[in-house]
Amino acid sequence: MGDVFQFLSSASLEKLTGRKAYDLEDLLDLIKTCPDSSIFYHTFSAFLKMREVQVPYNTDFAIWVSRSLNEKALAEKLMAVDLSEYNTIKTLKMRFIEIIETYREQKPDAFQKTANEPFYLYDIIRVVYPTDKFAYDLKSFRELLPTISVYSMYFHFIESRLHTHLQTDDFSTWIEESLNIPDLAQMIRKIDFNVYTLEGLRTRIIQLIDEHLKEIEQKG
Amino acid sequence: MTAPTLFDYKEVVGPDIIEELTILASHVGNRSIKMVNSTAVGGGVAEMLHRIVPLLNDMGIQTKWDVIKGDDEFFEITKTFHNALQGKEEYFHEDVFKTYLAYNEKNNDEMDFDEDLIVIHDPQPAALIHWHQNRKNRWVWRCHIDMSQPNPQLWSFLKPYVEKYDAAIFSSALFSTELSIPQYRFYPAIDPLADKNRELDASYVDSVLAKYGIPRDKPIVTQISRYDPWKDPVGVVQAFKMARKYVDCRLLLVGDKAADDPEAEKILEKVKAEAGDDPDIHILLFSPSIATEINAFQRASDIVLQKSLREGFALTVSEALWKGRPVIGGAVGGIPAQIIDGYTGLLVHSVEGASLGIRALLTQPDFSKKLGENGHQRVKDEFLITKNLKRYLLLLLALDRPQEQTIFLN
Repeated sequence: MGDVFQFLSSASLEKLTGRKAYDLEDLLDLIKTCPDSSIFYHTFSAFLKMREVQVPYNTDFAIWVSRSLNEKALAEKLMAVDLSEYNTIKTLKMRFIEIIETYREQKPDAFQKTANEPFYLYDIIRVVYPTDKFAYDLKSFRELLPTISVYSMYFHFIESRLHTHLQTDDFSTWIEESLNIPDLAQMIRKIDFNVYTLEGLRTRIIQLIDEHLKEIEQKG
Repeated sequence: MTAPTLFDYKEVVGPDIIEELTILASHVGNRSIKMVNSTAVGGGVAEMLHRIVPLLNDMGIQTKWDVIKGDDEFFEITKTFHNALQGKEEYFHEDVFKTYLAYNEKNNDEMDFDEDLIVIHDPQPAALIHWHQNRKNRWVWRCHIDMSQPNPQLWSFLKPYVEKYDAAIFSSALFSTELSIPQYRFYPAIDPLADKNRELDASYVDSVLAKYGIPRDKPIVTQISRYDPWKDPVGVVQAFKMARKYVDCRLLLVGDKAADDPEAEKILEKVKAEAGDDPDIHILLFSPSIATEINAFQRASDIVLQKSLREGFALTVSEALWKGRPVIGGAVGGIPAQIIDGYTGLLVHSVEGASLGIRALLTQPDFSKKLGENGHQRVKDEFLITKNLKRYLLLLLALDRPQEQTIFLN
């Protein structure tokens, strides 16, 4: 990454697949056979959908298992999968399959339940595009943060790790590698995005940068 | 009043959203779209096209809108198609299909389809694709109706035409059907700057209520919907009466009436009978209603109901949520997409549920306010016309690169 940080953003077009699950066996089959982009839609991109309501749920799978099948324990196990530890969809998919198959051994009765509301499998087309916002240093980065869209926030902090295959966000990488501020980078990297809304995430990053800038000023 | 430009939406949706739309449009470049439907006035599709076509042009996407021609014979047929595709039992004689195709062919002969993307709305012009099988441009079928349980005979006739398109668009996963072509979801959307939704002066709202003799002395609970059994206006009156044992309020029922709709008259009589001579129940019938007055009724309401038993997408819910009103909706059709129960409104399944909802919202103003605020945000995120502009831009990009799951623009 160069010295200048250009903010990117992303947008999605939702595709209907016509495929549904009415029970856990169906869901397992969907997860096993669907394209990676469907797993992406129901996990990573779920962060764009009303996090205020969904927290602590971080995937559509967990929401459906909890609300439509009332299998709270399985929902919690699915929810406990920390998406920040996955930088490929394939490994994430395998983890979900493993959790559901283990649950089938432990609680086979749960697989007999049928939901009234099916789980609709979606797919997604992603479009990633540059914005006209550039940061040259920490100060300009801080000034731009409140003005970027939530889609840009989401892209750099959550989605981009799938493109870079790194277990980290773009912001902390740039702050560490281009600005050479490893302490601040480390604090930003440690933010648990699973429990934040995108606006909450933005506020938290701004707060950490402000604290850092204040400290520099005091040392000054 | 001149039509709003894209930049007029900045204040409503935020500058960041408009900036990103402009950037996406610059990547899409000099492209053209033609929208085709069956009516220039009346109905949600025409209303949406009147707003979205100028905005697409504003973004540099040359967009035209053509309306197919037909006489009573054709539109009688397409009306039965509409109902049958939504599940109504109907038998079609072979001649009906021949007549439908003949009108489509005649329209095809009189129209040109030179644009990069042709968007055909609903079943009336769906067969136009038949004469464009060796096309160089892209054709998409935008279906606005609930196709989850289409009449099998009609669907076996129409499906081969639909599957000739490059893609189909549905309003919800609930309304789609199995097809061999890609399907996209475009939620329907409201225009925040249209007369039905724009900000109004409080004095105007007061004057509308005064005009129709509705006192502002107690909370107002409102349902704005056609007098149609599926909108359950009788159930609304019953729910109101049950709730009023606990909370003092007024009920306002507002509905449009088509010129020749004998069924609406019958339902209206039932509603009046259920209401009796209760002075707190106000029943208004318009033919047609005035958009700014509907806007005023929604803004004057403490609760908006959409207690439907069966629905299409029910954008009336988004209209009320946009105005920050707490909404109680029946858990049918597109309503659960708009109302996340307990967060952006309340979902109910019965008269009793609606009654409890009225009591809960009128006695907990903070909760009501929070639902309204969350509802406003939900509409801002998903159900505004600007979101649909973005979807059209993304569709143009996606159709150009059908093999790519992620498109990187430089």
